[in-house]
Amino acid sequence: MSQSVQAAPATVPSEPSNRVKLGMSNRILARPEVGALVAAIIIFIFFMAAAPAFRSAESFFTVLYQASTIGIVAVAVGLLMIGGEFDLSAGVIVTTAGLVNSMFCWYLGVNLWIGAILSLAFCLAIGFLNGYLVMRTGIPSFLITLGTFFVLQGANLGVTKLVTNQVSSTDISQIDGFDSLANVFAFTIKVGGVTVWGTVIYWLIFVALAAWILTRTRTGNWIYAVGGAPDSARAVGVPLFKTKIGLFMSVSFLGWFVGMHILYRFNTLQAGNGVGNEFLYIIAAVVGGTLLTGGFGNAWGVAIGAFIFGMTSLGIVYAGWDPNWFKAFLGVMLLLAVLVNLYVKRLSTTTRKAD
Amino acid sequence: MRMIRPLAVAAVVALAVAGCSSGGREKTDDSTTSGGNAAGSSGYTIAFITHETPGDTFWDKVKNGAQQAAKDTGVTLKYSNDPDATKQAQLIQSAVDSKVSGIATTLVTPDALAGAVKAATDAKIPLVGFNSGIDQYKQLGALMYFGSDESLAGESAGQRITQAGGKKPLCVIQQAGSVALEARCAGVKKSAPATENVQVNGADDAAVTSTLQAKLAQDKSIDYIVTLGAPQAVDALKAIEQAGSKAKVVTFDLNQQVAQDISDKKIEFSIDQQPYVQGYMAVTSLYLNLKNGNDIGGGKPVLTGPSFVDSANIAAILPFTKNNTR
Amino acid sequence: MTDTLADHADSQLIKGQTLIEMVDVGKSYGAIRALRGISMKVNAGEVTCVLGDNGAGKSTLIKIMSGLHPHNDGRLLVDGKEASFSSPREALDHGIATVYQDLAVVPLMEVWRNFFLGSELRVGNYPLARLKVKEMRAIADEELRKMGIVVKDINQPIGTLSGGQRQCVAIARAVYFGARVLILDEPTAALGVKQSGVVLKYVAAARDAGLGVVFITHNPHHAYLVGDHFVILKLGSTALDGTRDEVTLDQLTAQMAGGDELAELSHELKR
Repeated sequence: MSQSVQAAPATVPSEPSNRVKLGMSNRILARPEVGALVAAIIIFIFFMAAAPAFRSAESFFTVLYQASTIGIVAVAVGLLMIGGEFDLSAGVIVTTAGLVNSMFCWYLGVNLWIGAILSLAFCLAIGFLNGYLVMRTGIPSFLITLGTFFVLQGANLGVTKLVTNQVSSTDISQIDGFDSLANVFAFTIKVGGVTVWGTVIYWLIFVALAAWILTRTRTGNWIYAVGGAPDSARAVGVPLFKTKIGLFMSVSFLGWFVGMHILYRFNTLQAGNGVGNEFLYIIAAVVGGTLLTGGFGNAWGVAIGAFIFGMTSLGIVYAGWDPNWFKAFLGVMLLLAVLVNLYVKRLSTTTRKAD
Repeated sequence: MRMIRPLAVAAVVALAVAGCSSGGREKTDDSTTSGGNAAGSSGYTIAFITHETPGDTFWDKVKNGAQQAAKDTGVTLKYSNDPDATKQAQLIQSAVDSKVSGIATTLVTPDALAGAVKAATDAKIPLVGFNSGIDQYKQLGALMYFGSDESLAGESAGQRITQAGGKKPLCVIQQAGSVALEARCAGVKKSAPATENVQVNGADDAAVTSTLQAKLAQDKSIDYIVTLGAPQAVDALKAIEQAGSKAKVVTFDLNQQVAQDISDKKIEFSIDQQPYVQGYMAVTSLYLNLKNGNDIGGGKPVLTGPSFVDSANIAAILPFTKNNTR
Repeated sequence: MTDTLADHADSQLIKGQTLIEMVDVGKSYGAIRALRGISMKVNAGEVTCVLGDNGAGKSTLIKIMSGLHPHNDGRLLVDGKEASFSSPREALDHGIATVYQDLAVVPLMEVWRNFFLGSELRVGNYPLARLKVKEMRAIADEELRKMGIVVKDINQPIGTLSGGQRQCVAIARAVYFGARVLILDEPTAALGVKQSGVVLKYVAAARDAGLGVVFITHNPHHAYLVGDHFVILKLGSTALDGTRDEVTLDQLTAQMAGGDELAELSHELKR
């Protein structure tokens, strides 16, 4: 093999001039999460200046908690979007997960751990079904999961009403297993007098895991490939079906995880909850630099996206501004984040051409 | 706390209820739905139309009241709902078209519903209003009205807070752009001028809690939190605990957990507009009007609230919350 | 660059040996017959050119051989044994690799990831096993250099390469992973003269290394430069089938330009 290098044709002399490595700054700017990071820092400084109540460790960890409850599911939604699909049922499946656990155990009077595992199996089955239908029918995932979204939303209400005769689940704090489950899904730790929610730690773990999977495993390679160019991926032997179904199932897995947190923190669940959060997950992913059309993005970017959401939604409260403007303000912040993102990306590509 | 578990388990064993573990479902007799006459035995059909957004505990009770009234009077109840004003008008119109005996409807957006209500009165179908539209029902041509005055309810809540020494209440709006919720907060502000509003996402308990926590950190002078729905009251308690605040909680409406918290003195009081009564009276008044030509309220709206629920009277009310009728 | 091909090409291949044989193969999609009565052979060390106009059935033919769509008439023999592939993976396992004109690579992924896509090197064979990233980068870099493909940076997205370079990376990849039959779907269609030259040299190199090459194109000049055997498809069936000795470039060009139909048309349009 080594001989062939010498045997290589006339291209060799020109090589040194051709093989220019990209400048360090350009390589950094081309990363999907950089735009979001810049936006996050600007928003952070902005609220530090505008809202005195924002400047405390407690506030910071409240923001992180808010970000984590969105961010955990958003990580999986981000992976799914990199894989080229959407899941609009991701918001309600959180509530479905809690309701299945809560009502099954309450109605039959069994240990909550059994219900939690049953609920996990149920959620994974929904994820599988989403993926299976998308792959089998070729109908866009936007439509399939919109269907699942409505089915779950209706079933959440209908079944809850049938089982409990109310539209919220019942108190389960006295059923066996509650304390141990609460210790797993809704624990807090004190760090220097500041309460840190377990979800923040889980969030970081899930993000790190997702980041590792994306860049350092074959699965990650396949996720980028099925999102970027599904036909090319399939042609070189990437299992499209398995990869995409796996992505849908990871969304429902993390949906289940957050559902467990909400259930064991709040004990009862309103059956109509969770609606609308699916868009927050998608927003977090997009703000974090994930391409809507798939094939590009990364896990840390999505995490920063969720952090921006947590910061903006609470920052306006810390600043004590008129709450009626909340949505408008949130929208402006998100638009700014996306624009900064775009600007940074464009900056990096133009300088690259100038090289 | 350690004592409760063994006691509860022992109680369950003693009861030997089909092998249920502690805290699970209790064996219930369906008292809420039993009794009354066979559906339709009186020959009347009543259309019951609301602007309910599915999944709201409040409307669930309104519906329960209407259903019980229909059972008691033997009328056939046709329930329909749509949060969108124009679609609600269509629901009224289609009730008129199907020639029902009477119509009970909420009048949340009087202007949008006026045409459909007029179609009902033109067709000589008696129509009563409930829940909202207290100022406009007469003008629209509705015979009677059952509901509470949101602004008045807010005002009396504010009064009780100031009497108890509250200086700075925080009014929590869980749904953006709702006239009724804004009116409640405006009422509170009337009697407690320092009142401030905060907007939360009612569909996400975690978000409600962290938003309230943030607000408590931002303004340490908040000493009362007024939630406008029962589930948010429970979230508010968590937020106060997290923020290490001393604020007290006051809420509109009841649910099982809020009732329990009132009896445990964690929540000061609840302003109940008795949704069950609204539903029940709307149907019953139509029945009486059809059967006997009665008119209730003497030409004035019949107020179903505000009724205060606090630790003094919660003991009597607690069982009813379990039936989902209060 | 031939050295690299020879390194990786299957040494068991004997020139002239039949790798794929199609006997009376047909394919219909619902009521539409896309292909009927196709018989052809792909031999080791030869380039079989498949020419045809748009809609002649070229892509259907590729899809059958590459495992995207199974055929429903006739027989497909691989190494003398009857086969029907249900996925591209199965075809790959038989050493049949396809390089598509527009779906050869995933544009947003790095060059080295594209090179190893679907055949990644891992530290173990368990779920989420770590990729040997350094090794893969080094191999991809080395292989491409050896093949005379110069990329600025092995970590740049492959979409930043030129069309010809992308085709070459895709072909190099197929050869590196032990392809015995290489199906090239219009590799020169979107390329300029110089770029096409690079790709054609590469096709010849693959042939010389003993691979069986199926070269799909509608450019008879390109086909004649490297082809050993020519098949022209028209409306789903074979219109011409002959070896290099039997067919001239003029014949090919005439057939591709419309042949008899064109003569008839020129007669009709005579002023």
